[in-house]
Amino acid sequence: MKPLWKVFWLLLCAERVSLLRGGALSLIVLAMGAALLGLSGWFITAAAAAGMAGAGAVFDVFRPSAMVRFLALFRAAARYGERLLTHDATLRGLEVVRHRLLSGFLQAPYARMIQIRGAQALNRLTADVDALDGVTLRLILPVMAGAATHIIVFAVLWWLVNWQIAAWIFVGYIIGAGTILWRMAKAGAGVSRKAEAAGQAFRSRFVDLIRARRDLAVYGRLPQQRAHVLDAETRRRAELAAQDRAERNAGFALNLLIQGVAAGALGLGAAQVGAGTVTPAFAALGFFAALGLAETLGPMRRIVSDLGRMREAARRVTRDIAPVDVIMPNAVDQMSRPATPAPRLPLQMFNVSLRRPGTQTIAVKGIDLQVRAGQTVALTGPSGAGKSTLLLAAAGLQAPCSGQITIDGRNVHTMPEAALRDMLTLLPQRSTLIAGTLRDVLRMGCDAASDAELWAALHACQLAPLIEARGGLDLWVGSRGEGFSGGEVRRIALARALLRKPQVLLLDEPTEGLDHTTAVAVLHAVRQRLPQAAILMASHRVAEIEVADHVIHITKNL
Amino acid sequence: MCLRPGATRLRRAAWVSVLASAIWPLQAVVVAWVLGMLLEGQMVSPYSAAAIFAGLGAFRAALGWLVDRETQKAAEGVIQDIRHKIVEKEAVRASSNRFGGAGAIAALAHDKIDLLKPYIMRYAPARTRVMVLPFILIGIAASQSWVVAIIFLISGPLIPVFMALVGMAAKEASERQLQRIGTLNDLLVERLSALVDIRLLGARDQVMDGFADETRDLRERSMAVLRVAFLSSTVLELFAAIGVAMVAVYVGFSLLGVLNFGTWGEPLSPMRGIFLLLIAPEFYQPLRDLSAAWHDKASAEAVAQELDAWEAVDTEDMLGTGAVAVARSGDAGISLQGCVLNNQRLPDMVIAAGESVALMGPSGCGKTSCLRLIAGLSRPAQGRVEVAGQPLTDQNADAWRARLGWMPQTPHFLSGSLRHALMFSKDHDPTEALEQAGIYDVVAGLPRGLDTRLGEAGGGLSGGEGRRLMLARALYKKPQILLADEPTADLDHDTADTVVRGLLAARAAGTALIVATHDADLARQMDRIIQIGGEQ
Repeated sequence: MKPLWKVFWLLLCAERVSLLRGGALSLIVLAMGAALLGLSGWFITAAAAAGMAGAGAVFDVFRPSAMVRFLALFRAAARYGERLLTHDATLRGLEVVRHRLLSGFLQAPYARMIQIRGAQALNRLTADVDALDGVTLRLILPVMAGAATHIIVFAVLWWLVNWQIAAWIFVGYIIGAGTILWRMAKAGAGVSRKAEAAGQAFRSRFVDLIRARRDLAVYGRLPQQRAHVLDAETRRRAELAAQDRAERNAGFALNLLIQGVAAGALGLGAAQVGAGTVTPAFAALGFFAALGLAETLGPMRRIVSDLGRMREAARRVTRDIAPVDVIMPNAVDQMSRPATPAPRLPLQMFNVSLRRPGTQTIAVKGIDLQVRAGQTVALTGPSGAGKSTLLLAAAGLQAPCSGQITIDGRNVHTMPEAALRDMLTLLPQRSTLIAGTLRDVLRMGCDAASDAELWAALHACQLAPLIEARGGLDLWVGSRGEGFSGGEVRRIALARALLRKPQVLLLDEPTEGLDHTTAVAVLHAVRQRLPQAAILMASHRVAEIEVADHVIHITKNL
Repeated sequence: MCLRPGATRLRRAAWVSVLASAIWPLQAVVVAWVLGMLLEGQMVSPYSAAAIFAGLGAFRAALGWLVDRETQKAAEGVIQDIRHKIVEKEAVRASSNRFGGAGAIAALAHDKIDLLKPYIMRYAPARTRVMVLPFILIGIAASQSWVVAIIFLISGPLIPVFMALVGMAAKEASERQLQRIGTLNDLLVERLSALVDIRLLGARDQVMDGFADETRDLRERSMAVLRVAFLSSTVLELFAAIGVAMVAVYVGFSLLGVLNFGTWGEPLSPMRGIFLLLIAPEFYQPLRDLSAAWHDKASAEAVAQELDAWEAVDTEDMLGTGAVAVARSGDAGISLQGCVLNNQRLPDMVIAAGESVALMGPSGCGKTSCLRLIAGLSRPAQGRVEVAGQPLTDQNADAWRARLGWMPQTPHFLSGSLRHALMFSKDHDPTEALEQAGIYDVVAGLPRGLDTRLGEAGGGLSGGEGRRLMLARALYKKPQILLADEPTADLDHDTADTVVRGLLAARAAGTALIVATHDADLARQMDRIIQIGGEQ
């Protein structure tokens, strides 16, 4: 239950006033519902009694009937207000939760970031967050308002009718509903978790099936993967059937409870009238109030089926949510400033050793290097020697296990993220383009870039003629760069990086997939665009090594 | 919307729900009788009164349970059918799809069609109840008092009229909301797979702002849908409340002896008055149920439209079923003649059995298309693909592919362990293939070896490593022909050499290679180079 309270607390903090008002209104709605029915029952019965006694003319018709009309109209209005308020507040609160989730993903450590699978993270942001609306709308507010209504009605009935009828209704409903809820929630706890897990499995397997259908077909695995997908679906269906069963059993039990309590109120009333302790009109009031209170049990049925799902969603969401906000936790170790060497060079590494991402093996050992403004340094060495890892470390994505990396004399692992990104840009081996027009794609690098600047960057990457031929900056780039070849995607990503005008540019095999002439032209143009930048690139191509002022060879650390 | 699979079940459930609702008037008789007797000062047995009321109530609850069961089953059946259809179709679709990416299709198949469930469960029973119950209740009311019947007759028809108006607004609003959900999902999938890029570009705030706009928009649309829904149910509640209040006023004044008309002969007795008042809300209940179901209908129709949009995307299927088949040996020549794919004319080519070729040419010239045609993964719009001396057809495609290995340009790793992603079986050791691909050491160095789970684009591995794993997967199959799309892209010289060595070793062992490549070094080592396009 803890995560649910945590989520409730989050929503409450975000939208306190609206939620409290909404909660108060839902109490009013429920209490008025019971009052309306009870009063109507009393009114008709009392009127009949007065009529039979020939006292019809002196019976006060006006006040009770005005009260009935007021309750009926005001209740409808209050319900409208309550629904609008609580829904709006909940949706707003969930929006905050969603933002903090995405923000959490965006500031996850690099090692975790690359493990985040699109589909799962998407589920967290959409389905999981959606499931949480029930925390306020269907769980906590209705249960609290319902419980409060029962207490109020208990007190009023005791005062107006007698304690036996009041206690019967109160105890019957509270114990009955409590037991049903407790039993059903216990029975359904595992079910929704399993249904959810099966649903996630269905989703990610289905995405796999669609994305890898060609691979699967060639390797003769298509029917198997399809069966794998449908298998998850069958599992989910079985769980959902169990959930449906639990829900309708709960509905049945709640209906029985209502009928039982109302029947008991009727019988008790009849007995008390027979004993002369209560008038028929007040007996009717008790019975009708019992019927009216049935409304408080309305949301219970949904709770039974939703509780498990909400609990799971809350658990996952509260785990992934960003701690309060915004500050990027880039401070890995607050090492004292290095014995800063006299000249503050754009990029320096002191005796840097690194682990392979996600493992304990040392990939790079004891690297010292420096890159001056306007200098181009190429890192060479076999695949797996740790060139990419070194660039990741220089970009502040991975902390070295010893040694230090500085830009402009500041440790990249302790300086603020925003400042670091302003000074330094890394073009990783694989870049992901976000679908949109080419203009949008490029502006990811620099929000404010003018079309002329965008064209200049495209020119530098030798893309301008191609883009011009295909429709200019409004050209649509599909998701994952669909519509462009691997080499083109790389160059678009490079253009995007150039737009940032960094002081330090880190390039991981920037000219992969380009022929020699283009590669040389691109590298020269990059230097022209950024004459003062310190450029460090991981290279294996002749063209890249040719343009470098300096080559550092890294051997594989075994 | 096709509800045929559950239609009979639904019809039965609808009539049971009518029966369940028809029990309330009987319970009302019991209550009215008890109160009437008490008012007249006569003794009533509390036990039998409570027992009869509770017994009838229990019967009603049991019928309700039955209705739930039947409608739940019917809904599940319909949804399952649709879901299976989507999975079957998407598995063999030959090209990507205008409808949307894998995320959008998965969202449709997984979440969105679940929105059909409340509609299927509630709408048909509610409609049947509306067609039957109000008339029964008017009949019952008329038998007691024509005034009450007239009140029902006047106030009843107003409700459906209003409901229809609201229903139209609701449909439009929920369509807009659903569309927005779709866009938001696509937007998020994109951003979530570009987390690292966003961070490196310092574009976090930009992305968060864009996201904030989108979510605000979505919330506003959702609230628009809800507002219509709440408004309509409030109005219905008001109508019902006014109707009940009118009945109450009439009954109250009749009982007080102020009004003396409206009955057939004798004045209204307390028992009849209480009975009429008890059944009054029940007259409006089916109409309110139907209006609630109308909103379910609106969102279901929006989903149905999306399903139609999905169905309307008519692309070719790949050839064959993609199942395992027995590879035949013997002649494995390939010929493409006059092929056109995606409005692109591909060059004619004949590749003899056992011959290794490189397809070279500028990006976008159709190298990948050629490989797909050869593997039967796409159907040419025009032209002929012949393999092993026969046209490639649905019948022989699986057997043909059994002879092929496949290295895609961008690796996609199936979720699960690396072993699963590489489709290694448990009973055949992959060491040799991993070594040939020059990736054995890397796999051995992973925290859990082949049982390691990777991110979807091979997170945790470099591009070159991902590529070499794809090679290992292909070599593991010991194919007769290996189709490789840019096998050395992203690899440094030394590693490219390992891959090329792996490829050549496979070739020496009898595997013919067909590589699409920019890499002149690799191309030179093939028997022949086929130039495609050729401006460069």
